[in-house]
Amino acid sequence: MTESKIYFKFDGKKYAGNEGDTIAAALLRNNVRLIGRSFKYHRPRGIYTCGIEEPNALVQIINEHNEPNVRATVKKIYEGMIVKSQNRWPSLKTDLGSINNILSPIFSAGFYYKTFMGPKGFWKNVYEPLIRRTAGLGKPPKEFKSKSIHQHHNVDVIIVGGGLSGLLAARKFAGTNYDVLLVEREDAFGGILKNANKIKSINDQPTDEWLEKTERLIRNSNNIKILKNTLVTTYNFSDHLIALEDKNVGKPQDNEKPELVLHKIRTKHTILANGHIERFITFRNNDLPGVMLAASFEKYLNRYSVVPDESPVIFTNNSSTFSLLKSLTDLGHRPKAYVDIRDQKNIEKETLELLEKFSIPFYPKSEVEGCEGQKEVKKVSIRTKKNKISKIKTSMLCVSGGFNPDIHLFTQSKGLLKWDKDHLTFKPDRIFQKTITLGSVSGNFSYEKLLVEVEKKLSEFEGLNELEVKFELNGSEKFQIKELWETKHEKKSIWSKSFIDLQNDVTTKDLRQAVNEGFNRIEHLKRFTTNSMGTDQGKISSINALGIVSKILKKDISEVGTTTYRPPYSPVNFSAIAGRSTYEFYDPERKTPLHSWHVKQNAVFENVGQWKRPWYFKKSEDETMHQAVQREAEQVRKTAGILDGSTLGKIEIKGKDALTFVNLMYTNSFTKMKPKTGRYALMLGEDGMVKDDGIVCKINDQHFIVTTTTGNAASVLAHMEEYSQTEWPNLNVYMNSITEQFATFNLSGPKSRVIMSRVFNDIDFSNDQFPFMSFNNFKYLDTEIRILRASFTGELGYEIYVPPSHALKLWQRFFISSRDFDLVPYGTETMHLLRAEKGYIIVGQDTDGTVTPLDLNLNWMIGKKKKDFIGKRSLTRTDIVRENRKQLVGLVPVDKTLGIEEGQHVIEHKDLSLPIKDPVDMLGHVTSSYFSPNLNHSVAMALIRGGKRKIGSRLFVSTENLNTIAVEVVEPNFIDPKNERMML
Amino acid sequence: MFTIRCPYCGERDQSEFSNGGEAHVTRPKDPEQISDREWSEYVFIRANPKGIYYERWVHTHGCKKWFNAVRNTSTDEILKVYKIGETPPPLKEFKNTIKTPSGEPDVGSGNFSVKKP
Ligand SMILES: [Zn+2]
Repeated sequence: MTESKIYFKFDGKKYAGNEGDTIAAALLRNNVRLIGRSFKYHRPRGIYTCGIEEPNALVQIINEHNEPNVRATVKKIYEGMIVKSQNRWPSLKTDLGSINNILSPIFSAGFYYKTFMGPKGFWKNVYEPLIRRTAGLGKPPKEFKSKSIHQHHNVDVIIVGGGLSGLLAARKFAGTNYDVLLVEREDAFGGILKNANKIKSINDQPTDEWLEKTERLIRNSNNIKILKNTLVTTYNFSDHLIALEDKNVGKPQDNEKPELVLHKIRTKHTILANGHIERFITFRNNDLPGVMLAASFEKYLNRYSVVPDESPVIFTNNSSTFSLLKSLTDLGHRPKAYVDIRDQKNIEKETLELLEKFSIPFYPKSEVEGCEGQKEVKKVSIRTKKNKISKIKTSMLCVSGGFNPDIHLFTQSKGLLKWDKDHLTFKPDRIFQKTITLGSVSGNFSYEKLLVEVEKKLSEFEGLNELEVKFELNGSEKFQIKELWETKHEKKSIWSKSFIDLQNDVTTKDLRQAVNEGFNRIEHLKRFTTNSMGTDQGKISSINALGIVSKILKKDISEVGTTTYRPPYSPVNFSAIAGRSTYEFYDPERKTPLHSWHVKQNAVFENVGQWKRPWYFKKSEDETMHQAVQREAEQVRKTAGILDGSTLGKIEIKGKDALTFVNLMYTNSFTKMKPKTGRYALMLGEDGMVKDDGIVCKINDQHFIVTTTTGNAASVLAHMEEYSQTEWPNLNVYMNSITEQFATFNLSGPKSRVIMSRVFNDIDFSNDQFPFMSFNNFKYLDTEIRILRASFTGELGYEIYVPPSHALKLWQRFFISSRDFDLVPYGTETMHLLRAEKGYIIVGQDTDGTVTPLDLNLNWMIGKKKKDFIGKRSLTRTDIVRENRKQLVGLVPVDKTLGIEEGQHVIEHKDLSLPIKDPVDMLGHVTSSYFSPNLNHSVAMALIRGGKRKIGSRLFVSTENLNTIAVEVVEPNFIDPKNERMML
Repeated sequence: MFTIRCPYCGERDQSEFSNGGEAHVTRPKDPEQISDREWSEYVFIRANPKGIYYERWVHTHGCKKWFNAVRNTSTDEILKVYKIGETPPPLKEFKNTIKTPSGEPDVGSGNFSVKKP
């Protein structure tokens, strides 16, 4: 197994590891203890655990686009991997940030809230950059294209955890009719069987043999799907779980294949068999590299065949460390000392026998008071039962403070916990969903009882297999623990700290200070001290914090309660959440049938919803946007211009009651409207506010086609559907989006009639035959087109609706037929300018959901004789008819050379001096503003309080540099107020 | 995150649906004949209970049909779906549904992960 070495780099130095090693296992193999610097104080930190609970050993993987905060205790090595330590400068061994350790009094609990209150501007310029440089974890990753994918599952049962309990459950389901998903976070099943030396044999076979057999049996059953290297991170309401699968464990990333899979799982039953987590004990300098949890140490021995240290000191408050003692002595190693807080008479027989057999120095009823060393543990300081301090030279200290069922997922599911006095921990009590907990996560640490538990809890399922399992144990399985959360410091110095949260550098002193300052509720205390708010969420320490706080508050620990466990269980990469929805897959891009033409004509595009619309056309390389828009707008009013209006929403409405329905949806009356005519129409919400506008074309009383603004096409159709299905299901009407079925050209300008006659030489475009707001269908080549005479520029204009297949040819024909007129293609910016010159509104720009038709002077569009339409009743509400509402007006600068800025405030007075003594009364704001090439000055529209009565008066508009400019309030109609040009 | 049973299509992912707010808010027959207050109540005022809620959903990315659902707002469990126009199931049908995860009061919020001793 150890013949093939794998080489990787850590902080520039090359190391060899074995296949299957995590970064931490490989570094321990090479006697590397110092892995990183801590969050606040930049203290040296090492490897504390052997799994997902790791608070300290976070590293950055340079060759995986700089992936930060990777747990060295989880991530497996591969050939050529480049690993770097985090949060140190200039190097891991000499870190200048460790000065924070000496400055630590100012970094105490709540320091973020207290320290950075002023002076003004300091946060942005001094504090934040400083904190960002010195505090924190890894550096952000480089930009990369995620290949991660999402996968969905619908199953009857999910088993979370492929340890002993999970496998027993899976064994019961194997070959049955249940659809089962078995999820294991490591690359191999077995859990405790692989980690510890607790079980000697199963059914008289070595545990590895039993594991292999069981796995084969599960694999061969056709009803169980297995996911390994997959961590369940989330247990939502309604039996919905999320799991993250790492596809590249122990392999370099393959750029062609997904690196992560986010599994979204819906299940009928959830079996949680996700085990337990060992917790630490807090003592002086409990953060030094060389301090490691006892069960983690044992896991390195058993799972990775790494001996982190041949003669560590063991410090415990419970019976579980017998297993470590046995594992070490079985390998021929002799611990330096065994320190047990318990009375000798309470310590189990087999431990005492081993201690005696190998003559291991034994300290009953004693505790580790602290550790000494600069960059790693050199000495352990023991307070013996006679209250004497005894110091032992050692380079490693293994600690066990007891075990916590891994209740994170259970509480995410909203299950309730209760305090377990025998194990001194919280365990699941009442379930809230269809949850079954098995094994240590349920608080059952006994192998004998496990079989009974599995049978009992799975008895609700029918037709499951019988289990035939018999365990032979190493030593007794009786668990015994004595409460101990922290030990008292013997020595006080700035260097001496007892950490309760290793990742966030929270000390027990911080907890006391927070309680003293009044933060006696656990949720407040957590936020004030940032305890358990790191990426490890205090997995090895949060119960210790509760224990310490309950002692300070003199309360029962169950009264103190836990903080809320929120998903995810462990950090989930953003790339996995994003999946394939990045870059070009983030959102569809919609292009009109004329897109390629626009590109060739140097269009600059604007995103309008998902659509790409020409914003303006660059005539030459050095033409600016302003120049282009001025040129386009001038040409339209001089001869003619053409706009690609294909993105406009188009909805077809049909049915016996189509007329009644359209009358209800829009403010206008369509009853007396002649067939083959159109009408500019307003759509309101029930609150009377303008929702959309468009042109309603009546083919006959049973058939209408309406247009919507580009951005509202989907929501207008949805709004119509809602009312037709829920309010007026009795109306015979149905509607359909036909937006993509037609390309739309808007031809506009005094020469547009001549151009139309040239393009369609068999159609009569005279005023008699083709009056304003009339439309008709015509044969065109082998298809049919619709022409509507309408105008959004105030010029004579036509809208041509043509099937996309014929769009480009017809569009080109317009240019061929009008060379002598310099027909100009124009974009959305020019369209906005031209309509502003006419005072036409853009819904969403000149309105914002608080504007009624009355506010817009569009009273003429309201069918007052209609009995009802959506929003009609609201138009007579007292608030809607009050005089002082914000109303739409036009603004023209007094000094014609000045420009008005959109979004600026309209005010009554000239002065905007600083400091402001009295608040300046804002009358409203500028909604649209353009420089009109046709009038040679700025025109603007604004919504201002009591605007209608202010027409003719002088107001002021603020500017960016705190000046004001004087403006005349006018009717919002700057060009051709009598509408003669469009009636041409 | 859950699945919803569309009465027309069957069970589908929640992401296919949109919520349409409280159900059975009837649009006044003759809006002109009622007071500002009555009309405003129709337009603006909606119930917001903790527990059983009758609401409207639409299968936006599916059949586009509107339907009604009874949802427990404290568990997000959809207890019943029925078509527009069908008689709403009586409240008492859902009486025994658990109100809140930790048995705290009917009104207000709470997030206690530990059972009250
Ligand atoms: Zn449906």
